[in-house]
Amino acid sequence: MATYPQKAPLVLLTDRPVQLETPRHYFLEPITPNDAFFVRWHLESIPNEVDLSSWRLHVEGNVNKQLSLTFSDLLHKFKPITLAAVNQCSGNSRSRFGPRVPGGQWGNGAMGCARWTGVHFRELLDMAGVKSGSVQVQMEGLERGKGPRGMPSYEFKKSLDLSNPVLDESIVAYAMNGEPLPMLNGFPVRLIVPGYFATYWVKCLTDVRLLDKPDENFWMNPAYRVPNTPRGNTTPTDVAAGKVKMIPINRMPVRSFIISPGGATKIPAGFPVTVRGTSFSGFGRVVKVEFADSLHGRWREAKLGEDLGPYAFRTWECAWTPEKPGKYSLAVRATDEKGNVQPDEGVWNPGGYLWNKIERQEVTVGGAA
Amino acid sequence: MNHGTRKRRMLFALLIGVCVVAVGTIYADLEIGYYTAANLGSVAQPAPPPLQTDGVYSVAAYPLYTPQLVPGAGRQDAAAYCNTCHTPSYITMQPPLSAAAWKAEVTKMGKVYGAQIPTDAEARIITYLQTHYTPETRKR
Repeated sequence: MATYPQKAPLVLLTDRPVQLETPRHYFLEPITPNDAFFVRWHLESIPNEVDLSSWRLHVEGNVNKQLSLTFSDLLHKFKPITLAAVNQCSGNSRSRFGPRVPGGQWGNGAMGCARWTGVHFRELLDMAGVKSGSVQVQMEGLERGKGPRGMPSYEFKKSLDLSNPVLDESIVAYAMNGEPLPMLNGFPVRLIVPGYFATYWVKCLTDVRLLDKPDENFWMNPAYRVPNTPRGNTTPTDVAAGKVKMIPINRMPVRSFIISPGGATKIPAGFPVTVRGTSFSGFGRVVKVEFADSLHGRWREAKLGEDLGPYAFRTWECAWTPEKPGKYSLAVRATDEKGNVQPDEGVWNPGGYLWNKIERQEVTVGGAA
Repeated sequence: MNHGTRKRRMLFALLIGVCVVAVGTIYADLEIGYYTAANLGSVAQPAPPPLQTDGVYSVAAYPLYTPQLVPGAGRQDAAAYCNTCHTPSYITMQPPLSAAAWKAEVTKMGKVYGAQIPTDAEARIITYLQTHYTPETRKR
Protein backbone atom coordinates (compact mmCIF):
# COMPACT_ATOMS: atom_id res chain seq x y z
CA MET A 1 0.00 0.00 0.00
CA ALA A 2 1.12 3.53 -0.67
CA THR A 3 -0.40 6.93 0.01
CA TYR A 4 -0.36 9.52 -2.76
CA PRO A 5 -1.51 13.16 -2.71
CA GLN A 6 -5.31 13.39 -2.20
CA LYS A 7 -5.48 9.60 -1.83
CA ALA A 8 -6.15 7.00 0.86
CA PRO A 9 -3.66 4.11 1.08
CA LEU A 10 -4.02 2.15 -2.18
CA VAL A 11 -2.35 -0.93 -3.60
CA LEU A 12 0.87 0.15 -5.31
CA LEU A 13 1.57 -1.32 -8.75
CA THR A 14 4.10 1.17 -10.09
CA ASP A 15 5.44 4.45 -8.77
CA ARG A 16 6.45 6.36 -11.95
CA PRO A 17 4.26 6.50 -14.03
CA VAL A 18 1.78 6.01 -11.21
CA GLN A 19 -0.53 2.99 -11.09
CA LEU A 20 -2.58 2.40 -7.92
CA GLU A 21 -5.29 -0.19 -7.31
CA THR A 22 -8.40 0.22 -5.16
CA PRO A 23 -8.55 -2.22 -2.20
CA ARG A 24 -11.38 -4.72 -2.44
CA HIS A 25 -13.54 -3.64 0.51
CA TYR A 26 -14.40 -0.29 -1.14
CA PHE A 27 -16.60 -2.18 -3.61
CA LEU A 28 -19.19 -2.96 -0.93
CA GLU A 29 -20.59 0.48 -1.77
CA PRO A 30 -21.92 1.40 -5.24
CA ILE A 31 -20.00 4.69 -5.25
CA THR A 32 -16.21 4.59 -4.92
CA PRO A 33 -14.82 7.50 -2.87
CA ASN A 34 -12.52 9.88 -4.75
CA ASP A 35 -9.61 9.21 -2.42
CA ALA A 36 -9.91 5.45 -3.02
CA PHE A 37 -10.41 5.63 -6.81
CA PHE A 38 -7.77 3.72 -8.79
CA VAL A 39 -5.04 5.57 -10.68
CA ARG A 40 -3.46 4.71 -14.01
CA TRP A 41 -1.13 6.91 -16.08
CA HIS A 42 0.83 5.91 -19.17
CA LEU A 43 3.51 8.59 -19.04
CA GLU A 44 5.53 10.10 -16.23
CA SER A 45 5.26 13.88 -16.73
CA ILE A 46 1.83 14.38 -15.22
CA PRO A 47 0.77 17.64 -13.62
CA ASN A 48 1.46 18.46 -9.99
CA GLU A 49 -0.35 21.72 -10.60
CA VAL A 50 -2.79 23.33 -12.95
CA ASP A 51 -3.28 27.09 -13.20
CA LEU A 52 -6.97 27.68 -13.88
CA SER A 53 -6.30 31.35 -14.66
CA SER A 54 -4.58 30.27 -17.88
CA TRP A 55 -6.00 26.74 -18.38
CA ARG A 56 -8.27 26.36 -21.43
CA LEU A 57 -10.22 23.56 -23.04
CA HIS A 58 -9.72 23.80 -26.80
CA VAL A 59 -12.09 22.45 -29.42
CA GLU A 60 -10.21 22.62 -32.70
CA GLY A 61 -9.35 20.94 -35.98
CA ASN A 62 -12.07 20.38 -38.57
CA VAL A 63 -14.55 22.84 -37.00
CA ASN A 64 -16.28 26.03 -38.12
CA LYS A 65 -15.26 27.95 -35.02
CA GLN A 66 -12.39 27.03 -32.70
CA LEU A 67 -13.32 27.18 -29.04
CA SER A 68 -11.12 28.12 -26.11
CA LEU A 69 -13.13 27.62 -22.94
CA THR A 70 -12.23 28.51 -19.37
CA PHE A 71 -13.10 26.36 -16.38
CA SER A 72 -15.64 29.00 -15.45
CA ASP A 73 -17.21 28.77 -18.95
CA LEU A 74 -17.75 25.05 -18.38
CA LEU A 75 -19.36 25.71 -14.98
CA HIS A 76 -21.66 28.51 -16.07
CA LYS A 77 -22.30 28.51 -19.82
CA PHE A 78 -23.71 24.98 -20.06
CA LYS A 79 -26.46 23.02 -18.38
CA PRO A 80 -24.75 20.64 -15.95
CA ILE A 81 -25.46 16.94 -16.23
CA THR A 82 -24.70 14.24 -13.66
CA LEU A 83 -24.32 10.54 -14.39
CA ALA A 84 -23.06 7.61 -12.32
CA ALA A 85 -20.70 5.46 -14.37
CA VAL A 86 -18.08 2.78 -13.89
CA ASN A 87 -14.57 3.59 -15.01
CA GLN A 88 -12.62 0.39 -15.56
CA CYS A 89 -9.08 0.01 -16.88
CA SER A 90 -8.88 -2.13 -20.05
CA GLY A 91 -6.32 -4.28 -18.25
CA ASN A 92 -8.32 -4.83 -15.06
CA SER A 93 -7.70 -8.43 -13.84
CA ARG A 94 -4.80 -8.88 -16.28
CA SER A 95 -2.95 -10.88 -13.61
CA ARG A 96 -5.59 -13.65 -14.10
CA PHE A 97 -4.41 -14.35 -17.67
CA GLY A 98 -2.87 -17.68 -18.59
CA PRO A 99 -0.40 -17.67 -20.24
CA ARG A 100 0.54 -14.47 -18.41
CA VAL A 101 0.88 -11.32 -20.52
CA PRO A 102 3.07 -8.26 -19.90
CA GLY A 103 1.47 -5.03 -18.76
CA GLY A 104 0.04 -3.64 -15.52
CA GLN A 105 -0.57 -6.70 -13.34
CA TRP A 106 -3.91 -5.60 -11.93
CA GLY A 107 -6.07 -7.67 -9.62
CA ASN A 108 -9.77 -6.73 -9.76
CA GLY A 109 -9.33 -3.20 -8.35
CA ALA A 110 -8.63 -1.16 -11.49
CA MET A 111 -12.23 0.00 -11.47
CA GLY A 112 -14.48 2.43 -9.66
CA CYS A 113 -17.87 4.09 -9.94
CA ALA A 114 -18.42 7.81 -9.40
CA ARG A 115 -21.13 10.38 -10.03
CA TRP A 116 -19.65 12.55 -12.75
CA THR A 117 -20.90 16.08 -13.33
CA GLY A 118 -20.07 18.21 -16.32
CA VAL A 119 -21.00 19.28 -19.80
CA HIS A 120 -22.50 17.20 -22.63
CA PHE A 121 -19.63 16.40 -24.99
CA ARG A 122 -21.96 16.81 -27.99
CA GLU A 123 -22.87 20.32 -26.86
CA LEU A 124 -19.22 21.35 -27.12
CA LEU A 125 -18.90 19.77 -30.55
CA ASP A 126 -22.09 21.46 -31.74
CA MET A 127 -20.94 24.82 -30.39
CA ALA A 128 -17.73 24.52 -32.41
CA GLY A 129 -19.62 23.25 -35.45
CA VAL A 130 -18.24 19.99 -36.80
CA LYS A 131 -17.33 20.45 -40.47
CA SER A 132 -18.50 17.89 -43.01
CA GLY A 133 -15.84 15.33 -43.76
CA SER A 134 -14.98 14.88 -40.09
CA VAL A 135 -14.72 11.21 -39.11
CA GLN A 136 -13.31 11.09 -35.60
CA VAL A 137 -12.87 13.22 -32.52
CA GLN A 138 -9.50 13.05 -30.79
CA MET A 139 -8.85 13.77 -27.12
CA GLU A 140 -5.59 14.87 -25.57
CA GLY A 141 -4.71 16.02 -22.07
CA LEU A 142 -1.76 17.27 -20.03
CA GLU A 143 -0.15 13.80 -19.79
CA ARG A 144 3.36 13.93 -21.25
CA GLY A 145 6.40 11.68 -21.25
CA LYS A 146 10.15 11.97 -21.60
CA GLY A 147 10.27 10.44 -25.07
CA PRO A 148 10.90 12.28 -28.35
CA ARG A 149 8.13 14.59 -29.57
CA GLY A 150 5.61 12.80 -31.78
CA MET A 151 6.39 9.40 -30.27
CA PRO A 152 3.98 7.48 -27.99
CA SER A 153 6.43 7.91 -25.10
CA TYR A 154 5.84 11.67 -25.42
CA GLU A 155 2.07 12.01 -25.63
CA PHE A 156 -1.18 10.14 -25.12
CA LYS A 157 -4.08 10.65 -27.53
CA LYS A 158 -7.33 8.73 -28.04
CA SER A 159 -10.10 9.02 -30.61
CA LEU A 160 -13.70 7.94 -31.08
CA ASP A 161 -15.73 7.70 -34.28
CA LEU A 162 -18.10 10.64 -34.73
CA SER A 163 -20.80 8.15 -35.69
CA ASN A 164 -20.46 6.35 -32.36
CA PRO A 165 -23.66 6.82 -30.31
CA VAL A 166 -21.58 6.77 -27.12
CA LEU A 167 -20.68 10.40 -27.89
CA ASP A 168 -24.30 11.34 -27.12
CA GLU A 169 -23.85 10.04 -23.58
CA SER A 170 -20.30 11.32 -23.04
CA ILE A 171 -19.54 14.12 -20.61
CA VAL A 172 -16.65 16.49 -20.02
CA ALA A 173 -16.65 16.16 -16.24
CA TYR A 174 -15.43 18.83 -13.84
CA ALA A 175 -16.83 17.15 -10.72
CA MET A 176 -16.46 13.65 -9.32
CA ASN A 177 -18.86 12.70 -6.53
CA GLY A 178 -19.63 16.41 -6.15
CA GLU A 179 -16.00 17.43 -5.63
CA PRO A 180 -13.23 18.67 -7.91
CA LEU A 181 -11.39 15.72 -9.49
CA PRO A 182 -8.25 14.57 -7.65
CA MET A 183 -5.17 15.56 -9.66
CA LEU A 184 -4.35 11.87 -10.14
CA ASN A 185 -7.82 11.25 -11.59
CA GLY A 186 -7.62 14.06 -14.14
CA PHE A 187 -8.12 17.52 -12.61
CA PRO A 188 -9.55 19.85 -13.84
CA VAL A 189 -11.68 17.92 -16.38
CA ARG A 190 -11.75 14.46 -17.90
CA LEU A 191 -13.88 12.79 -20.52
CA ILE A 192 -16.54 10.35 -19.34
CA VAL A 193 -17.46 7.67 -21.89
CA PRO A 194 -20.21 5.61 -20.20
CA GLY A 195 -19.95 1.88 -20.82
CA TYR A 196 -16.54 2.17 -22.47
CA PHE A 197 -13.20 1.15 -21.02
CA ALA A 198 -11.20 3.87 -19.27
CA THR A 199 -8.65 4.26 -22.07
CA TYR A 200 -11.04 6.74 -23.74
CA TRP A 201 -11.71 8.69 -20.53
CA VAL A 202 -8.83 11.10 -21.19
CA LYS A 203 -7.63 12.81 -18.01
CA CYS A 204 -6.60 16.48 -17.59
CA LEU A 205 -8.34 17.02 -20.94
CA THR A 206 -7.16 20.13 -22.83
CA ASP A 207 -7.69 19.42 -26.53
CA VAL A 208 -10.66 18.08 -28.41
CA ARG A 209 -9.73 17.78 -32.06
CA LEU A 210 -11.98 16.99 -35.02
CA LEU A 211 -10.19 14.77 -37.55
CA ASP A 212 -10.95 14.27 -41.23
CA LYS A 213 -9.23 10.88 -41.27
CA PRO A 214 -9.01 8.02 -38.76
CA ASP A 215 -6.48 8.43 -35.95
CA GLU A 216 -3.63 5.98 -36.47
CA ASN A 217 -1.48 7.12 -33.56
CA PHE A 218 0.07 4.32 -31.45
CA TRP A 219 -2.48 4.59 -28.63
CA MET A 220 -5.23 3.78 -31.17
CA ASN A 221 -3.25 1.30 -33.27
CA PRO A 222 -1.74 -1.12 -32.31
CA ALA A 223 -2.27 -0.27 -28.60
CA TYR A 224 -5.59 -0.97 -26.88
CA ARG A 225 -6.79 -3.38 -29.53
CA VAL A 226 -8.68 -6.63 -29.03
CA PRO A 227 -9.29 -9.58 -31.36
CA ASN A 228 -12.36 -9.28 -33.56
CA THR A 229 -13.63 -12.63 -32.21
CA PRO A 230 -16.39 -13.64 -29.78
CA ARG A 231 -15.45 -12.16 -26.37
CA GLY A 232 -12.10 -10.99 -27.81
CA ASN A 233 -10.73 -14.47 -27.24
CA THR A 234 -7.80 -15.95 -29.15
CA THR A 235 -4.62 -17.99 -28.61
CA PRO A 236 -0.89 -17.17 -28.65
CA THR A 237 -0.55 -19.54 -31.65
CA ASP A 238 -3.16 -17.72 -33.73
CA VAL A 239 -1.61 -14.36 -32.86
CA ALA A 240 1.86 -15.59 -33.84
CA ALA A 241 0.45 -16.93 -37.12
CA GLY A 242 -0.99 -13.49 -37.93
CA LYS A 243 -4.52 -14.93 -38.08
CA VAL A 244 -6.13 -12.43 -35.73
CA LYS A 245 -7.82 -9.23 -36.85
CA MET A 246 -7.58 -6.59 -34.12
CA ILE A 247 -10.09 -3.77 -33.48
CA PRO A 248 -10.10 -0.88 -30.98
CA ILE A 249 -11.31 -1.95 -27.53
CA ASN A 250 -14.77 -0.59 -26.79
CA ARG A 251 -17.57 -1.59 -24.39
CA MET A 252 -16.97 -3.40 -21.11
CA PRO A 253 -18.37 -6.93 -20.83
CA VAL A 254 -20.68 -7.76 -17.91
CA ARG A 255 -18.91 -8.56 -14.62
CA SER A 256 -19.74 -9.31 -10.99
CA PHE A 257 -17.67 -9.76 -7.85
CA ILE A 258 -17.89 -11.29 -4.39
CA ILE A 259 -16.54 -8.72 -1.95
CA SER A 260 -17.55 -10.25 1.38
CA PRO A 261 -16.72 -12.77 2.79
CA GLY A 262 -13.15 -12.28 1.67
CA GLY A 263 -11.93 -15.73 2.65
CA ALA A 264 -9.33 -14.64 5.19
CA THR A 265 -11.48 -15.56 8.20
CA LYS A 266 -13.09 -18.89 9.15
CA ILE A 267 -16.86 -18.96 9.34
CA PRO A 268 -18.54 -21.12 12.03
CA ALA A 269 -20.94 -23.79 10.69
CA GLY A 270 -24.55 -22.63 10.94
CA PHE A 271 -23.58 -18.96 10.89
CA PRO A 272 -25.98 -16.86 8.78
CA VAL A 273 -23.72 -15.13 6.27
CA THR A 274 -24.75 -12.27 4.01
CA VAL A 275 -22.65 -12.66 0.89
CA ARG A 276 -22.20 -9.25 -0.68
CA GLY A 277 -20.70 -7.89 -3.84
CA THR A 278 -21.05 -5.65 -6.85
CA SER A 279 -21.70 -5.87 -10.59
CA PHE A 280 -21.84 -3.79 -13.78
CA SER A 281 -21.94 -3.98 -17.56
CA GLY A 282 -20.86 -1.62 -20.32
CA PHE A 283 -23.91 -2.74 -22.32
CA GLY A 284 -26.48 -1.41 -19.85
CA ARG A 285 -28.14 -2.34 -16.59
CA VAL A 286 -27.36 -5.52 -14.72
CA VAL A 287 -30.80 -7.16 -14.37
CA LYS A 288 -29.86 -10.37 -12.59
CA VAL A 289 -27.12 -11.58 -10.26
CA GLU A 290 -26.96 -15.26 -9.31
CA PHE A 291 -25.06 -16.89 -6.50
CA ALA A 292 -24.02 -20.51 -5.96
CA ASP A 293 -21.95 -22.48 -3.50
CA SER A 294 -19.92 -25.54 -4.45
CA LEU A 295 -21.89 -27.87 -2.16
CA HIS A 296 -25.27 -27.32 -3.83
CA GLY A 297 -24.05 -26.00 -7.17
CA ARG A 298 -27.47 -24.58 -7.98
CA TRP A 299 -27.65 -20.91 -9.07
CA ARG A 300 -30.09 -18.81 -7.09
CA GLU A 301 -31.01 -15.20 -7.57
CA ALA A 302 -29.39 -12.60 -5.36
CA LYS A 303 -31.09 -9.42 -4.18
CA LEU A 304 -29.96 -6.38 -6.15
CA GLY A 305 -29.01 -3.09 -4.50
CA GLU A 306 -30.03 0.42 -5.50
CA ASP A 307 -30.21 1.19 -9.23
CA LEU A 308 -27.95 4.22 -9.80
CA GLY A 309 -28.25 4.09 -13.58
CA PRO A 310 -27.37 1.84 -16.50
CA TYR A 311 -23.60 2.30 -16.28
CA ALA A 312 -23.15 2.34 -12.48
CA PHE A 313 -22.13 -0.38 -10.06
CA ARG A 314 -25.09 -2.45 -8.91
CA THR A 315 -24.45 -4.05 -5.54
CA TRP A 316 -26.06 -7.37 -4.61
CA GLU A 317 -26.45 -9.60 -1.56
CA CYS A 318 -27.51 -13.13 -0.85
CA ALA A 319 -28.18 -14.95 2.42
CA TRP A 320 -26.08 -18.09 2.82
CA THR A 321 -25.81 -20.38 5.83
CA PRO A 322 -23.21 -23.15 5.52
CA GLU A 323 -24.53 -26.06 7.60
CA LYS A 324 -21.40 -28.23 7.72
CA PRO A 325 -17.67 -27.56 8.18
CA GLY A 326 -15.61 -27.75 5.02
CA LYS A 327 -14.06 -25.83 2.16
CA TYR A 328 -16.59 -24.06 -0.02
CA SER A 329 -16.26 -22.25 -3.29
CA LEU A 330 -18.71 -19.40 -3.74
CA ALA A 331 -19.52 -18.18 -7.24
CA VAL A 332 -21.37 -15.20 -8.72
CA ARG A 333 -22.55 -14.37 -12.22
CA ALA A 334 -24.40 -11.38 -13.63
CA THR A 335 -26.73 -10.89 -16.59
CA ASP A 336 -27.23 -7.48 -18.23
CA GLU A 337 -30.28 -6.02 -19.94
CA LYS A 338 -28.99 -7.07 -23.37
CA GLY A 339 -28.99 -10.70 -22.19
CA ASN A 340 -25.20 -10.98 -21.85
CA VAL A 341 -24.26 -13.51 -19.15
CA GLN A 342 -20.83 -14.00 -17.64
CA PRO A 343 -19.13 -17.14 -18.96
CA ASP A 344 -17.26 -19.69 -16.88
CA GLU A 345 -14.28 -19.61 -19.23
CA GLY A 346 -11.44 -17.13 -19.11
CA VAL A 347 -10.35 -15.11 -22.09
CA TRP A 348 -6.92 -14.74 -23.68
CA ASN A 349 -5.61 -11.98 -25.89
CA PRO A 350 -2.15 -10.42 -26.11
CA GLY A 351 -3.14 -7.13 -24.44
CA GLY A 352 -4.64 -8.77 -21.36
CA TYR A 353 -8.04 -7.14 -21.89
CA LEU A 354 -11.77 -7.98 -21.44
CA TRP A 355 -11.52 -10.42 -18.50
CA ASN A 356 -15.03 -11.27 -17.26
CA LYS A 357 -14.98 -14.91 -16.16
CA ILE A 358 -17.29 -15.90 -13.29
CA GLU A 359 -15.56 -14.93 -10.02
CA ARG A 360 -15.15 -17.42 -7.21
CA GLN A 361 -14.28 -17.06 -3.54
CA GLU A 362 -12.93 -19.93 -1.45
CA VAL A 363 -14.17 -19.89 2.15
CA THR A 364 -13.43 -22.18 5.08
CA VAL A 365 -16.26 -23.19 7.39
CA GLY A 366 -15.21 -24.50 10.80
CA GLY A 367 -16.95 -26.67 13.38
CA ALA A 368 -19.07 -25.19 16.15
CA ALA A 369 -20.60 -27.15 19.02
CA MET B 1 13.76 61.74 -4.06
CA ASN B 2 17.49 61.79 -3.20
CA HIS B 3 20.11 59.64 -4.84
CA GLY B 4 20.37 57.18 -1.88
CA THR B 5 16.64 56.42 -1.84
CA ARG B 6 16.62 55.74 -5.59
CA LYS B 7 19.57 53.39 -5.22
CA ARG B 8 17.84 51.51 -2.39
CA ARG B 9 14.68 51.23 -4.47
CA MET B 10 16.60 49.91 -7.44
CA LEU B 11 18.31 47.37 -5.20
CA PHE B 12 14.95 46.38 -3.76
CA ALA B 13 13.46 45.98 -7.24
CA LEU B 14 16.45 43.88 -8.27
CA LEU B 15 16.03 41.70 -5.17
CA ILE B 16 12.33 41.15 -5.96
CA GLY B 17 13.28 40.26 -9.53
CA VAL B 18 15.81 37.67 -8.33
CA CYS B 19 13.19 36.21 -5.97
CA VAL B 20 10.62 35.95 -8.78
CA VAL B 21 13.12 34.12 -10.98
CA ALA B 22 14.12 31.80 -8.10
CA VAL B 23 10.51 31.07 -7.18
CA GLY B 24 9.75 30.59 -10.88
CA THR B 25 12.47 27.96 -11.07
CA ILE B 26 11.14 26.03 -8.08
CA TYR B 27 7.61 26.51 -9.37
CA ALA B 28 8.59 25.11 -12.75
CA ASP B 29 9.91 22.01 -11.00
CA LEU B 30 6.64 21.64 -9.14
CA GLU B 31 4.40 21.95 -12.16
CA ILE B 32 4.81 18.61 -13.80
CA GLY B 33 6.33 15.21 -13.13
CA TYR B 34 7.49 16.13 -9.62
CA TYR B 35 8.39 13.02 -7.61
CA THR B 36 10.23 12.41 -4.35
CA ALA B 37 11.61 9.37 -2.51
CA ALA B 38 9.22 7.94 0.11
CA ASN B 39 9.04 5.17 2.68
CA LEU B 40 6.76 2.18 2.27
CA GLY B 41 4.48 1.64 5.22
CA SER B 42 3.77 5.34 5.68
CA VAL B 43 0.02 5.95 5.60
CA ALA B 44 0.07 9.74 5.94
CA GLN B 45 -0.63 11.69 2.77
CA PRO B 46 2.21 13.90 1.57
CA ALA B 47 1.61 17.38 3.03
CA PRO B 48 -0.08 19.58 0.42
CA PRO B 49 1.68 22.73 -0.76
CA PRO B 50 0.55 25.95 0.99
CA LEU B 51 -2.94 26.86 -0.26
CA GLN B 52 -3.18 30.32 -1.85
CA THR B 53 -6.29 32.00 -3.22
CA ASP B 54 -4.91 32.35 -6.75
CA GLY B 55 -5.83 30.15 -9.73
CA VAL B 56 -3.09 27.60 -9.13
CA TYR B 57 -4.22 24.18 -7.91
CA SER B 58 -1.34 21.98 -6.81
CA VAL B 59 -0.50 18.76 -5.05
CA ALA B 60 2.65 17.58 -3.29
CA ALA B 61 5.38 15.66 -5.09
CA TYR B 62 4.35 12.14 -6.08
CA PRO B 63 6.12 9.71 -3.75
CA LEU B 64 8.53 7.20 -5.27
CA TYR B 65 8.66 3.67 -3.90
CA THR B 66 11.24 2.39 -6.31
CA PRO B 67 12.23 -1.28 -5.98
CA GLN B 68 15.80 -2.49 -6.48
CA LEU B 69 16.73 -4.51 -9.53
CA VAL B 70 18.58 -7.80 -8.98
CA PRO B 71 22.38 -7.26 -9.05
CA GLY B 72 24.09 -8.48 -12.21
CA ALA B 73 25.71 -7.47 -15.47
CA GLY B 74 23.52 -5.04 -17.40
CA ARG B 75 21.70 -3.71 -14.36
CA GLN B 76 23.32 -0.29 -14.76
CA ASP B 77 22.13 -0.08 -18.37
CA ALA B 78 18.61 -1.05 -17.38
CA ALA B 79 18.63 1.48 -14.53
CA ALA B 80 20.00 4.26 -16.74
CA TYR B 81 17.98 3.85 -19.94
CA CYS B 82 14.67 2.39 -18.74
CA ASN B 83 14.51 4.92 -15.91
CA THR B 84 14.05 7.81 -18.34
CA CYS B 85 10.40 6.90 -18.87
CA HIS B 86 9.64 4.60 -15.92
CA THR B 87 11.17 3.31 -12.70
CA PRO B 88 12.25 -0.36 -12.27
CA SER B 89 8.80 -0.99 -10.74
CA TYR B 90 7.70 -1.60 -14.34
CA ILE B 91 10.16 -4.51 -14.50
CA THR B 92 9.60 -6.01 -11.05
CA MET B 93 5.79 -5.81 -11.42
CA GLN B 94 5.80 -8.12 -14.46
CA PRO B 95 5.16 -11.83 -14.08
CA PRO B 96 8.16 -13.97 -15.04
CA LEU B 97 8.32 -13.51 -18.83
CA SER B 98 10.01 -15.75 -21.39
CA ALA B 99 13.33 -14.74 -22.93
CA ALA B 100 11.49 -14.00 -26.19
CA ALA B 101 8.93 -11.84 -24.38
CA TRP B 102 11.66 -9.75 -22.71
CA LYS B 103 13.41 -9.26 -26.04
CA ALA B 104 10.13 -8.13 -27.59
CA GLU B 105 9.44 -5.74 -24.69
CA VAL B 106 12.83 -4.03 -24.83
CA THR B 107 12.78 -3.82 -28.63
CA LYS B 108 9.30 -2.30 -28.46
CA MET B 109 10.54 0.41 -26.08
CA GLY B 110 13.00 1.60 -28.73
CA LYS B 111 11.23 0.94 -32.03
CA VAL B 112 7.66 1.72 -30.99
CA TYR B 113 7.76 4.04 -27.98
CA GLY B 114 10.84 5.95 -29.13
CA ALA B 115 13.27 5.24 -26.27
CA GLN B 116 16.78 6.19 -27.38
CA ILE B 117 18.89 3.21 -26.33
CA PRO B 118 22.20 2.45 -28.10
CA THR B 119 22.27 -1.00 -29.73
CA ASP B 120 24.97 -2.40 -27.43
CA ALA B 121 23.18 -1.17 -24.28
CA GLU B 122 19.91 -2.61 -25.60
CA ALA B 123 21.55 -6.01 -26.03
CA ARG B 124 22.93 -5.87 -22.46
CA ILE B 125 19.51 -4.92 -21.06
CA ILE B 126 17.83 -7.82 -22.88
CA THR B 127 20.44 -10.29 -21.61
CA TYR B 128 20.12 -8.90 -18.09
CA LEU B 129 16.33 -9.31 -18.04
CA GLN B 130 16.57 -12.79 -19.58
CA THR B 131 19.14 -13.76 -16.94
CA HIS B 132 17.08 -12.67 -13.94
CA TYR B 133 13.39 -12.28 -14.81
CA THR B 134 12.20 -15.40 -16.71
CA PRO B 135 10.14 -18.29 -15.23
CA GLU B 136 13.39 -20.29 -14.99
CA THR B 137 15.58 -17.56 -13.53
CA ARG B 138 13.36 -15.27 -11.48
CA LYS B 139 14.05 -15.77 -7.78
CA ARG B 140 11.47 -13.41 -6.32
